[in-house]
Amino acid sequence: MADEEQEATGAVATEEPPSTPELEAAPGHDQLLHGAAGHAHPSPAKYVGIAILLAIITSLEVAVYYINMPDGLMVAFLLVLAVLKFSLVAAFFMHLKFDSPMLRRVFVAGILLAAVVYTVALLTLRVLV
Amino acid sequence: MQTAISAAPHTPAPGDHDYTVTGIDSRKLGMWAFLASECLFFGALISSHLLYRARAPQGVKLPHDVYDIPYTSVSSFVLLMSSLTMVLALAAIQRGDHRRLRLWLLATAFLGTVFIGGQVYEFTTFTHHGVNLSSSVAASSFFLLTGFHGVHVTVGILWLLSLVGISLRGQLPAEKHLQVEIAGLYWHFVDVVWILIFTVVYLVPNHH
Repeated sequence: MADEEQEATGAVATEEPPSTPELEAAPGHDQLLHGAAGHAHPSPAKYVGIAILLAIITSLEVAVYYINMPDGLMVAFLLVLAVLKFSLVAAFFMHLKFDSPMLRRVFVAGILLAAVVYTVALLTLRVLV
Repeated sequence: MQTAISAAPHTPAPGDHDYTVTGIDSRKLGMWAFLASECLFFGALISSHLLYRARAPQGVKLPHDVYDIPYTSVSSFVLLMSSLTMVLALAAIQRGDHRRLRLWLLATAFLGTVFIGGQVYEFTTFTHHGVNLSSSVAASSFFLLTGFHGVHVTVGILWLLSLVGISLRGQLPAEKHLQVEIAGLYWHFVDVVWILIFTVVYLVPNHH
């Protein structure tokens, strides 16, 4: 009886599509099966929520511009808010949070290279000091 | 055993010609590589503006003297919201809702056009205040930076309108949503670049 069950299970298993756990775990397999949107994207409601958050941060930026505070503090605030907005758009609207890590690495490499090259250049030219 | 299989590169099946061995569509990977290179392009323009922003002949106005922050804030907000309509267009085609795809694409193109119209008005106002492409090195670097960004937005608008046309001809089925996703990546990048420009060029104080 047990053998019969095992044979039956085996027979069913051979009829299954070749999406074994091993293959499912293979890099890119999910995308190849389901296309680039195989990963779960946020719902439209979540997109609207992110946009509201971005609008609030933009309002904060403009408010910081008009508040009297030391320049150093203002620049720090403004840069933090800009980086936050940049990250939210890249992570959610550009789907970097949900896509292949390789895409994130490619983009971050470009950002880091630009940041390092131009920071060194501007420091050398005494613009940032 | 499982680890060995997992680590093996995936062999694309027949018909998967757009996929690389990484499993990522080559067009999408190419767009991300292009956007990474654009970081260096805009980084150069922003840096040159930071270097020259306070350099002008005696008595000549700097761009900073004629900025209209409330106006540019609204303009920035419009571009930011176009990122929302763009991502809603992608969500629509992924659901197979072609009517809303076209609606959101047109809304994105419209918001982009409003932004460009605002930039043209801003440039015209600056010119009337004596700040133009050749009035000072500070103004040159400002117009070069914001002008190149404007060109990118314009290219994006044309791209979005072409997608609307392709969709109207019935040649943009839900399976081809990647075309919208790639156009969206470009559009969102143009938006994030403006986030930096708005902060670094317009809001960061410039004492000269």
